[in-house]
Amino acid sequence: MPDTRARLVKCFSAVFPELSEREIALASPLSVGAWDSLASVTLLSVLEEEFEVQIDPDALDQLVSFNLILDYLHHEQQVS
Amino acid sequence: MRAAVDALHPGPPMKLADALAIASSPAPASASGTYTLALVCSFTPLHLRTFLHAGLRQRFPTHAVDVTTGVYDDMAGTLRNLRGERVDAAAIILEWFDLDARLGLRRLGGWSPSDAGSILDRAQTWLAQLRHLIGRLTRVSTVAISLPTLPLPPVFSTAGWQMSPHELRLRERLWAFAADVAQDARVRIVSDARLQVLSPAADRASVKSTWMSGFPYRTVHAARLAELLVQAVDNRPPKKGLITDLDNTLWHGVVGDDGVEEISWDLDHHSQAHGVYQQLLGALADAGILVAVASKNDPGVVDKAFGRPDLLLRREQVFPFAVTWGSKAEAVARVLETWHVGADSVVFVDDNPTELAEVAAAHPDLECLQFPAGEPDALLPLIAHLRDRFGKANVSDEDRIRLESLRTSAVAMPLREDGDGYSEELLEQAEPQLVLDFVQAPGDTRPLELINKTNQFNLNGRRISAREWAEWLDDPETFVLTASYADRFGPLGKIAVVAGRAHGSTIAITAWVMSCRAFARRIEHRCLAALFERFDAQVATFDYLETPRNGPLTRFLRELTGVTPAPGLRVEVDSFRAACPRLFHRVTLRTELEHA
Repeated sequence: MPDTRARLVKCFSAVFPELSEREIALASPLSVGAWDSLASVTLLSVLEEEFEVQIDPDALDQLVSFNLILDYLHHEQQVS
Repeated sequence: MRAAVDALHPGPPMKLADALAIASSPAPASASGTYTLALVCSFTPLHLRTFLHAGLRQRFPTHAVDVTTGVYDDMAGTLRNLRGERVDAAAIILEWFDLDARLGLRRLGGWSPSDAGSILDRAQTWLAQLRHLIGRLTRVSTVAISLPTLPLPPVFSTAGWQMSPHELRLRERLWAFAADVAQDARVRIVSDARLQVLSPAADRASVKSTWMSGFPYRTVHAARLAELLVQAVDNRPPKKGLITDLDNTLWHGVVGDDGVEEISWDLDHHSQAHGVYQQLLGALADAGILVAVASKNDPGVVDKAFGRPDLLLRREQVFPFAVTWGSKAEAVARVLETWHVGADSVVFVDDNPTELAEVAAAHPDLECLQFPAGEPDALLPLIAHLRDRFGKANVSDEDRIRLESLRTSAVAMPLREDGDGYSEELLEQAEPQLVLDFVQAPGDTRPLELINKTNQFNLNGRRISAREWAEWLDDPETFVLTASYADRFGPLGKIAVVAGRAHGSTIAITAWVMSCRAFARRIEHRCLAALFERFDAQVATFDYLETPRNGPLTRFLRELTGVTPAPGLRVEVDSFRAACPRLFHRVTLRTELEHA
C-alpha cells in the first residue's frame, strides 16, 4: 500500500520537519534525537488524525520505528 | 458576495499536521517583531500550544511568534513568574481540576458526599487567588481566559440528568469570578456558547491522553479552543459601518407598492425577522456603528415610512439615506464618500442577489450579505455574523457621538465643490476648539484603538500591540500627543494621535493617525505646529511609508513640502510655517507640567 507509506512519511515530516524522506524511512528513537516521549504522543495524535484510527496506548511502546509503525498500520487496515 | 454562515456554521478545524508545519516554518526574514503569548495552564500544553502557535502565525503573518509555557500543575507559579515579563498576551486555560484536583481524573482524592463542601471551599479560595494574580497581569498584558471546557466528572451525588446544589454553587462561584475579572477591559472571557458550536461537549475530553501524557483534550477540541483564544487575544477592530437595503430587508414588503402602513416587521404578519434585524441595527447604531440606507425608492415615501413610530431603527440612527432610482452601487459609493471610510470597513445587506452582485462588482472590498427574506432559520446566523463583525467590548464617548458629528458636519459644513476642503469662512465660523494633550492616562484605550483602526490618515499603516504601546508610554524618551476636537456643531471626541521622540532640535514622528471624521479642519497643521512649539524643534522627520490606503496623509505631506513624500521625510520649521494655512482653532494645551 504505497499510499499508506506516503501518508506516514507526511506524518513523520510534520512531527520531525528536519528529517529527509530517506532519514524518515530509517527513523527510530535511537536515530532521531528529537523523538522523545512528547514527540511520541504528538506522532500518535497525528497518526490517529491522518489514518482515522485509535491507537492503543499499550501499542505505543512497540511503535518505535518508521517500519514498525508502517507494519502496524497495514495490519490495522487489513483487520478493518 | 457571501452568505452569513461562518459564525454558526464553521469550516473544518485546523489539522495537527498542518499546525505543526505552520508552527515550525521559519518566521519571515522581514519579521517586524515577535508576538509573545504566555500559555498558562496546569496540564501538559502539548497540542494546544502547537495550535496556538500556528493560529498566531496566521493572525500575525509579519511577526515571529513565541508561545511560552509554565511548570506542570503550577498555574499560580506560572502567573507569578509572568509579573516581570513583557508578553503581548496571556491565555489562561482553566479546567475543573484547577479548582480542585478531585474534579479531575488524574488524582484520587475521594468523591464522598462529605467531600463536597471542602471542594467548594477550595474552589472559592483558588478563584480568589487567581483573581488577584490576573489583576496584576492585566497591568501590562491582555488576558484571554477559557473557563472549564471539559465535562464535570460525576463527583456529586445526583444522577447525571440533575444538577446538585453543590454543582450549582460551584458553577455560581466560577461565573461570579468570570464576571468580576471581565470588568477589566484587558480581560476577555472566551465564549462558551461559541465554543459549544465549534466543539460539542461530548467531543472534547480525551481520557486516554489525560492519563498517557497529561494533556486532557482531544486534538480537534484543542484546535477549536486555540482558534477562539487567538481571536480573543487579538480582538480585531470592528467594521465601521453597515449599509442596508429597505424593501424586504429592513421591513417586509415593498413600501412604494404596498404603502407605508402595509410594510411590516412583526409576528402577526409573519415578518418578525425584519423586526429582529431592525433591533440589531438600532443597537449597533447606539454603539457607534454607522448605519446608512441604500435603496431604490421614492425619498418622500421612505421619509414617511421612517415616520412610523413602531420602527425599531429610528430615523436619527441612520445617516445618510441614499434613496434614489439610480444604481445601488452608486448609492453605496455616496454613503462611503459621506462617511469617509473605505469599503473594506463596511458591510452591505440586501435581499436581492442581483443588487448584491452589482454592488460587489463595483466595491470588491465591501462585504455583501444577503438578507434571508422568507427563511426564518437563516436569520440567526446572519445576526450572529453581524455581531461578530461589529462587536466591541466597550462603548466609548467617541462611539456615542460619531454619527451625530458626521451628520452635523455634512449638513452644517459642506465641503467646497473644488474638493479643497472647507472654505476659510466656514472654518472660522465653526469656532473650532482643540485640546492637545501630551499626558496619557494609562487606562485610556482610545489612542491605541485609533492607531490600529485608522487607514487613510496614517503615517505608515503600522499596527501596534498593547505590549508595544505600554512600553512606548513607559519610555521617558518618547512623546504621545492626542487631539480632541469640538466646534459649534458638536464634539468629535479624541480624533488624532501623534507619537514620536524628541532629540535636541529634531522631532522624529513614528506614528500619526487621524480619524476620517476630522479631515479638512486643519487639525493636522495645528498638531504639527504644537509639536514644533512644545519641543522648540527646528526639524521634524517622518517615519513615512506609502500604503494602499494612506492617500490623505500622503496628500497632506505633499502639500506641505511640495514633493512626493518618501521614508525619512524632513520638514524644517520655517518651511512648515511658510506653508501652513491660517488656523482658527482655540487651543487648550495639556502638558505633564501643568498636570503635575
